[in-house]
Amino acid sequence: MSKSPKLTREEFLKICGRTAGIVLLGGAAGALTTKTLARQARGGTVWQIDPTKCNQCGQCATHCVLDHSAVKCFHCFQMCGYCELCTGFFEPEPNALTEAAENQVCPVGALKRRFVEEPYFEYQINEARCTGCGRCVKGCTQFGNGSLYLQVRHDLCVNCNVCNIAAHCPAQAFVRVPASDPYIQRLGKNS
Amino acid sequence: MKSRVLYVLFVLYVPLILVSNAQAAKIEQRFPPPDFGPDYVFPESQQLPARVGWMAWVDTGVLAAALSAAAWIALRRRSRREMFWLSLFSVLYFGFYRKGCVCPIGAIQNITLALFDPTYVVPLFVIAFFALPLAFAVAFGRVFCSGVCPLGAVQDLVMIRPLKVPRGLDEGLGILRYFYLGLAVLLAAMGTRFFICQYDPFVGFFRFNARFWIWVWSVALLLLSMVVGRPYCRYLCPYGALLGMLSRFSFRRVTITPDKCVLCGLCTDACAFGAIRESDQ
Repeated sequence: MSKSPKLTREEFLKICGRTAGIVLLGGAAGALTTKTLARQARGGTVWQIDPTKCNQCGQCATHCVLDHSAVKCFHCFQMCGYCELCTGFFEPEPNALTEAAENQVCPVGALKRRFVEEPYFEYQINEARCTGCGRCVKGCTQFGNGSLYLQVRHDLCVNCNVCNIAAHCPAQAFVRVPASDPYIQRLGKNS
Repeated sequence: MKSRVLYVLFVLYVPLILVSNAQAAKIEQRFPPPDFGPDYVFPESQQLPARVGWMAWVDTGVLAAALSAAAWIALRRRSRREMFWLSLFSVLYFGFYRKGCVCPIGAIQNITLALFDPTYVVPLFVIAFFALPLAFAVAFGRVFCSGVCPLGAVQDLVMIRPLKVPRGLDEGLGILRYFYLGLAVLLAAMGTRFFICQYDPFVGFFRFNARFWIWVWSVALLLLSMVVGRPYCRYLCPYGALLGMLSRFSFRRVTITPDKCVLCGLCTDACAFGAIRESDQ
């Protein structure tokens, strides 16, 4: 009790306020940290596109919160028919089967083709260019083997709690998958 | 013995074949993939794993270091010039390099939503970004505002000739930020929208991608900052409201030593933000 006479009302209120502030801040931070750690312990999940549900509406390119969408086209070469007239590469009724821009489906020229052997061509995606618009995917899925499909690239995706593309996806193709196995393979893994 | 082992293996293998065939049958192969022979190598398709999270911890470290530096400059060095250089660093790092995100001001909403929505979690570094400046405010006062916040620094950098805001108007407008905080918390708690980020006036500069009306708002506020010291911080910033409440009870703060003060009133005139008032006594 020897200290109490020195404590003014102002100091007392200050200590009370300070304690309340520290307790509230610590409590909120502690509660949220526990919540986050509990979620991490259960093994996190990430967003991915189910290629069987995707209807290539094109909103993946425009609705991602990132400047350049985290959705990009993926090519499963093992499924590809290596068609000369690739419906994922060429516009319907192209002027000529050449790489000229007016013949191509891809608006940014991200799809490159290379001759392998008669009559087969190999199609590769320039991932730095791909915007995830899914036009090539539409062509490939409608008339081809479906070896081109959209996937969320996890080196780019920031894994929003509420994915803006998922919120707008008309086909509800966005699903949560385990973070340990973040890609959906149309064909068995590397088979 | 050997044949029996083989038989067991065969029995185990048959269902596997059936299952894999069933899976393969689901995929329609209109054009059977050609067989190029063993010389052909399938090109690699990139499926990169999730990006590493350590950059976020670098940001948190930079935030803690900048806060410590701001506290040191404000309380020990008492140097406006050094604080200016720290502000410049903050604008460049937290503003233009990190694109103004994560910022503690916006983190109010993430923290609120995480407290109210059981399915929503925030990463640990977001919690750190929200709590560190508040913890520093309890210890040293609002050092975050003085030299670390990129939004405050932008306004400081364009300030040319600050006018005195009449005391009544200053105090009246000062109440606005509590309403702003309340509205932001309410909208975030209901999960409606992240109000603060939507109308953030300076993040458009950092990212250079704002919409027209946000540009108008940004430029208007920036023009106002030339003649009124830090208008956003003083009258709107919701995080400033939180920091203000906590810094009221802080352990240390910038003070004027009463014994040395000669009541010349120069500091009152010099303070661009109306923070120093002449004593009534």
